Amino acid sequence: MKFETVIGLEVHVELATKSKIFCSCSAKFGAEQNDHVCPACCGMPGMLPIVNKNVVNLGMTAGMMLNCHINRTTTFDKKSYYYPDLPCSYQTTQWFAPVAVNGLVDIETSKGKKSIRIKQIHMEEDAGKLVHDDWTNTSLVDFNRTSVPLIEIVSQPDLSSAEEVVAYLERLRSLLRFAKVSDCRMEQGSMRCDVNLSVRPEGSDQLGVRTEMKNMNSLSAIVRAIEYETARHIDAIENGTEELVQETRRWDDVKGKSFAMRNKETAGDYRYFPDPNIMPVVIDDTWYDGIKNSLPEFPEVKKARYMSEFGLGEYDADILTGSRALCDCFEGAVAECGNAKEAANWLISDCMNLLNKNQQTADQLTVNGTSLGKLIKLVTDGTIGRGNAKKILIAMFEKDLDPAKYAEENGLILSNDTGLIDKVIKEAIAADPKAVADFKGGKEKALMALFGKCMKQLKGNCDPQVLRTMLIDEINKA
Amino acid sequence: MDQTTLQSLEKLNQLRLTDAEKEAVLAFFARQDKEMAVLDAIDTERVERMVHVMPILTVVREDVEKKLFTRDELQKGAPETMDGYWQVPRLVE
Repeated sequence: MKFETVIGLEVHVELATKSKIFCSCSAKFGAEQNDHVCPACCGMPGMLPIVNKNVVNLGMTAGMMLNCHINRTTTFDKKSYYYPDLPCSYQTTQWFAPVAVNGLVDIETSKGKKSIRIKQIHMEEDAGKLVHDDWTNTSLVDFNRTSVPLIEIVSQPDLSSAEEVVAYLERLRSLLRFAKVSDCRMEQGSMRCDVNLSVRPEGSDQLGVRTEMKNMNSLSAIVRAIEYETARHIDAIENGTEELVQETRRWDDVKGKSFAMRNKETAGDYRYFPDPNIMPVVIDDTWYDGIKNSLPEFPEVKKARYMSEFGLGEYDADILTGSRALCDCFEGAVAECGNAKEAANWLISDCMNLLNKNQQTADQLTVNGTSLGKLIKLVTDGTIGRGNAKKILIAMFEKDLDPAKYAEENGLILSNDTGLIDKVIKEAIAADPKAVADFKGGKEKALMALFGKCMKQLKGNCDPQVLRTMLIDEINKA
Repeated sequence: MDQTTLQSLEKLNQLRLTDAEKEAVLAFFARQDKEMAVLDAIDTERVERMVHVMPILTVVREDVEKKLFTRDELQKGAPETMDGYWQVPRLVE
């Protein structure tokens, strides 16, 4: 019998806000334990949650990017939750009126194009972190992450393979990063994915027993988990190796196995009820239109525009539109220098090399586009050499600066002092008569040796063409 | 409310009840059921659900980060702390 896999995803994405969802504590990752806490996120009696407006902005933005309908009145609810990483014994989330519903995301795999339906996007608070201490046999609680804002993107069970899941997640990540909703860094937990999976005989319209898998923090782990779980389900159905039950399972990537965690709760078990402390949020036309008008171009639209408007090749346009930071820098640079091809080259070769050296991703590029454009202008008008421009770019990675001012302060401007160049050439020739003789005898490499010595003496501040011409003239005279 | 539902609620709320407590809870819910039956008899078809007493909508704040409390202030009332963490009975699923 042939089987097909049915997969639905719940993707949690941490929103790029400065503060938490219901209090003003910092939402930054990586602080000392319990440094970002207050009575509200510690669940102390009498605290009153107040919604962060930017969370609603980003929730709406995500909804619009994923072609959802935005609920103009959106409300928050309490979901029962009995673990100490959420101190209220409930999680504040959205159940009855989530911010966005009924969306659609297009993906492309080796089997072609497919549309994945989005059931809903809801805003909620994250839980804190528990550390289990073997020495004292206790659990230690860090509330820094408690109440950090999340959206949960719930898909319909429209996915049917690990390849489709990866394509879907990559598409989500690209769209959400483009709209600056989140940095979507799986390794830091700002994008997490729970996989709901079942299998059924091919062509059947009945869904099989569904399991939910948690604890996956990379695309490769998700692929391995789906492949393992699919095989486990098929084995159980075909060979009766075990009884499949609806449950939550934990994926152990080191062991390459999933393990039962707990019986899967149903919605009733969570006992959702409206949060009386948080007033309904009504999104009026001004607010809605403001978000709608601030949406970025979709990456594929931008790519087509870069190719038609700036004459970039598909490869270059593809790399640039892979990251919003690259696009912003590129567009800023082109606006300043008017040379799209050069701007693309600087970004794709020099900037990407520096990012790789710093073990950073393209999204972490902080170089100001206007400053890059000024740097390109300085090179193309012959004010500085390309070698020195690279030195300036390294400094621009540290902090934003005016390239012309930096070049002047650090003696990186090309010298027009032909007297000085002439003096340096004459000294080099006098010091190495053998090289002069070798060049005259037809050894081209000898010229390069002299050229190098002169350039070193001039500290790189000389137009290579000018130096070469003057050097050959002088050798011929000698 | 029957024994099975009570058992399920006990598990969900992470409680362990004695037989005497279970009996008391079942008796309590039996009384509640009667009172709910009275309420159920009322026609509420056209009555809008009331969650919020005050007619206030859209209470939001700007996304501004503020540090209003220190960890030490917040942990003053904690029964147990360790290295800046709140310390609780061990919890492993």
